Amino acid sequence: MSEVQRKKYSEQEKSKIFDQEFMPNIDSMYNFAYRLTFDEDDAKDLVQDTYLKAFRFINSFEQGTNAKAWLFRILKNSFINDYRKKSKQPAKIDYQEVETYYNSDDVDYTSTTDLRVDAVKDMLGDEISNALNSLAVDFRTVIILCDLEGFTYEEMAKILDIPIGTVRSRLHRARNLLKDKLRSYASTMGYSTDEEE
Amino acid sequence: MDDNSTPSGDRKLSCSDVSKCFQLLESILDGENMPNSKEMLNEKLAKCEPCFKHFHLEQAIRDVLKTKCTKQAVPSELEASIREIIQDKK
Ligand SMILES: [Zn+2]
Repeated sequence: MSEVQRKKYSEQEKSKIFDQEFMPNIDSMYNFAYRLTFDEDDAKDLVQDTYLKAFRFINSFEQGTNAKAWLFRILKNSFINDYRKKSKQPAKIDYQEVETYYNSDDVDYTSTTDLRVDAVKDMLGDEISNALNSLAVDFRTVIILCDLEGFTYEEMAKILDIPIGTVRSRLHRARNLLKDKLRSYASTMGYSTDEEE
Repeated sequence: MDDNSTPSGDRKLSCSDVSKCFQLLESILDGENMPNSKEMLNEKLAKCEPCFKHFHLEQAIRDVLKTKCTKQAVPSELEASIREIIQDKK
């Protein structure tokens, strides 16, 4: 993102932006942080850090642009740069490793799943949440941004600092992984997952 | 909800270009604005069985994610503590 030097906001303007554009997003921010860390205290710290940074760098926020996307980008960077470094728990999947393996934009669209629409519709909230939470953080993130928070591909590309093509392919892979999880739940629920063909 | 989820005999059973079709369907479901997307979508759904199935499964996945994922309540003191720290730094 280009750090264009803008005019400085007055104290009054800063408060107004903070109250009217930043704070209303605290619910989404906290849920994003919680889904990244799975810990209430870590999520609180992450959100707090994000808001402090947002206030500190408020002059680089351009009014009229999407404040939520701007805040999400700060939160995601804080998560990668600060939280993941000091986190003692071993990362299940290393971020770099995921990047190296999955950064190709070529996606195999031919692999289809035999998951049924009815089975998906009957899933419980806990099963959906567990399936989502079991995905590696990069895959979990794109689904959160797209499906839960409604960001566009372009906004996601900015938040994640990746090209739109990578957003699209990562989303596709993420949903395929999610479908695999849901299919295994569906089969334990007694749904037949066989194709009737 | 969607009453058109039963397969119709008029659709062809194999898709001529799965990669292109599925990518298009997924982009449409994700709310991306594509030129003529509505016409293309209707055409795919009417004529191609794999596209039809893929669309409805992908739509169902997005629906359950949107409506059923467990939400965490924001801790009540969080906003106040953020404001307090900022106030102190001013
Ligand atoms: Zn097709």
